[in-house]
Amino acid sequence: MPDKTRLERAKIRPHPGFVSHPALIGLQKGRVIVATISDSYATLEKYLAAPADDKPEVFGQLLADLRALLAEGDWTQAASIVQRAVMPGGDFTTFQSLYRIYSKLKPHIELPQKTKLALLGGFTTTQLAQAIELALFSMGGGVEIFEAEYGVYRQEILDPGSELHRFQPNIVFLATSWRDLIHRPALGQGRAEVAAVVDAELADWSILWRTAHERLGCLVVQNSFDRPVWRQMDNHEMRHPGSLWRFVSRVNEAMADGAPPYVVLHDVDSLAALAGRRTWGDERYFFHAKMPCAPEFIVDYGFSVASLLAAQLGLSKKCLVLDLDNTCWGGVIGDDGLGGIRLGQGGAEGEAFVAFQQYARALKQRGVLLAVCSKNEEHIAKEVFEKHTEMVLRLNDISCFMANWTDKAANLREIARRLNIGLNSLVFIDDNPAERALVRQLAAEVAVPELPEDPADFIQAVEPYRYFQTLSIAQEDLQRAEYYRANSQRDEALSGSANVEEYLRSLAMVARIGPVTAMSLERSAQLINKSNQFNLNTRRRSAAEVSAMAADPQWLTRTVSLTDRFGDNGLISVLLARLEGDALLIDTWLMSCRVLKRGVETLLNNNLCRWAAGRGLRRVCGEYIPTPKNDLVREHYAGLGYTRISADGTGHTRWEMPLSADWQPQPVFIEEQEFDE
Amino acid sequence: MSDVRTQAQEVFRQVFDDPAIVLRDEMTADDVPGWDSLAHINLMVATEKRFKIKFATAEISRLKEDGQNVGDYLALISKKLARTS
Repeated sequence: MPDKTRLERAKIRPHPGFVSHPALIGLQKGRVIVATISDSYATLEKYLAAPADDKPEVFGQLLADLRALLAEGDWTQAASIVQRAVMPGGDFTTFQSLYRIYSKLKPHIELPQKTKLALLGGFTTTQLAQAIELALFSMGGGVEIFEAEYGVYRQEILDPGSELHRFQPNIVFLATSWRDLIHRPALGQGRAEVAAVVDAELADWSILWRTAHERLGCLVVQNSFDRPVWRQMDNHEMRHPGSLWRFVSRVNEAMADGAPPYVVLHDVDSLAALAGRRTWGDERYFFHAKMPCAPEFIVDYGFSVASLLAAQLGLSKKCLVLDLDNTCWGGVIGDDGLGGIRLGQGGAEGEAFVAFQQYARALKQRGVLLAVCSKNEEHIAKEVFEKHTEMVLRLNDISCFMANWTDKAANLREIARRLNIGLNSLVFIDDNPAERALVRQLAAEVAVPELPEDPADFIQAVEPYRYFQTLSIAQEDLQRAEYYRANSQRDEALSGSANVEEYLRSLAMVARIGPVTAMSLERSAQLINKSNQFNLNTRRRSAAEVSAMAADPQWLTRTVSLTDRFGDNGLISVLLARLEGDALLIDTWLMSCRVLKRGVETLLNNNLCRWAAGRGLRRVCGEYIPTPKNDLVREHYAGLGYTRISADGTGHTRWEMPLSADWQPQPVFIEEQEFDE
Repeated sequence: MSDVRTQAQEVFRQVFDDPAIVLRDEMTADDVPGWDSLAHINLMVATEKRFKIKFATAEISRLKEDGQNVGDYLALISKKLARTS
């Protein structure tokens, strides 16, 4: 077993003899030198350069290389290659494989920059959590992630005893989608009424943000709400006051304007728009697994969130370093001359180079430094900036201009030194695959995105990496933020709730509770066969068996359906119990995790005990049978006031609740509606 | 059919991180370590991508149900490929 290797990418050793290799000294454009790079780096270059359709196949080779590196215990090189191979827009299956490799090498590397993220999702966050972790790793950061059960973010934030509070995150991420909107306008409501609904929505979220921030001292990242893939009002969706799209847009604007400085809005609606809403929202995987978007976009989503974590860790890039020939204009200035290079009006390709320069200039305007790193005679290169009328970038846009014949890795180090920033703050853009390969290996801290051949695609190759992410853009509109904060405090009394009890009351929950009926049989059987986490016994049963129990006087069956002011949760809990002497033995007790921590289990227990006491029974008995997935309910019976009467070595425990004459139900905040058949 | 099997086998090997998996028709989720509901989604996504096909919502569920095996999975892929070609 090799020693735990500290990850210092600067120390990754190139292939022996590489630095002085003749191919490097006289490096010419277009000559690929991957043959001189150590094998797994060569495979990496091949993978990065492969067109999208061929990537999965080339990835097979890269995966084999990575497995070999892991087998040799070469964690540093494996880490370096994984960091380079992770890219936004990457294939979902490839990402899963890279994540597995990353998981294996993680214990052996040290990431000096680490943060703690609590991921509170309105949807399944498993894949997103992995994507965030892997994307952040590619940016040089590490993260410990706490994932709450999906849909319980309010309870986690409002309950001071929740796991979230024990976890003590640096960042709480409210990963919501449009389905998590608390309020919806009615179609018939006018503009003023809908504006009030928007205020109410903002006020409700404000309470969660403030509570999380005050109790945990953390940054809050809140998703904007993505608009659904359909429009109720068709063409008039943007104009009709009660339409959902317009409402979502207004809520997003209200959050953007009204969220306090400790809240960062993560604009997931723009991710959806950039990806193409219909493709983004492949709802099959929402119906199946409550995934927030089509699997193919999970990696992009992860990059977007990870870039915010990177910004918090100070890992964002600061400087865009540009090659010149065939990167900022078409052709080679030293050969083609001022009149020969392709740039600007008169040619489509020339316009594409102008567009890329405009993108670079836009970055400069928001505070990104620009530098030049080019193999050229300095005066010839500078002449283009000074004299070419179509140039968007001018010399005064460039903070550091390096045009010479030294190798680019050395030049990049010099640029970092002169600008007094870290080498890992640089993003290097070069059309030449050989230069990219060289820099990737010899200046490993520098980010080097793969660049397509067509300059029209350059921006798309760079932008999704979100290299230059910041947590906020200046100190804008503080006064307005104050106004909104005061407003939200007023609203708190009306619609808000600062503790769990109040929150549960405000939900206005109504439970329908009664035996398994012909109507509920199918759903009950489905829950019995599918629930893993909130499942005390994990006994699977067919619909026929359950039906037989429902008809048997020796068995008690119960189902619970729950509605609240946000809607109908449907049938969410099933209990099966058997009469034996003076006892009621609970055979099966399970519940859907989407209604965790609402008091449903207490309500059901009250109902059960009342039923048993009414029949003169003396005790109710339960058991917990541990599985790899049901640790959530290990202390279920303790929480309900049962006494533990036995435990065996496997963690299997038995519990009992005596039923005396003075048995009293426990308080719940759910209205109970009992039915018989 | 044999090509479908070979390619599907590669999909399985990557999704379940086991280069030694050999597909047999009678294999079920119980025979493949790690084939839980999460991995099932990964398998479906990878299969769709590899064969450039699209499973219906109900088909994604069905392939994970009891009584379904790799033979059924391969047959469904072949059926979809025949329809598109």
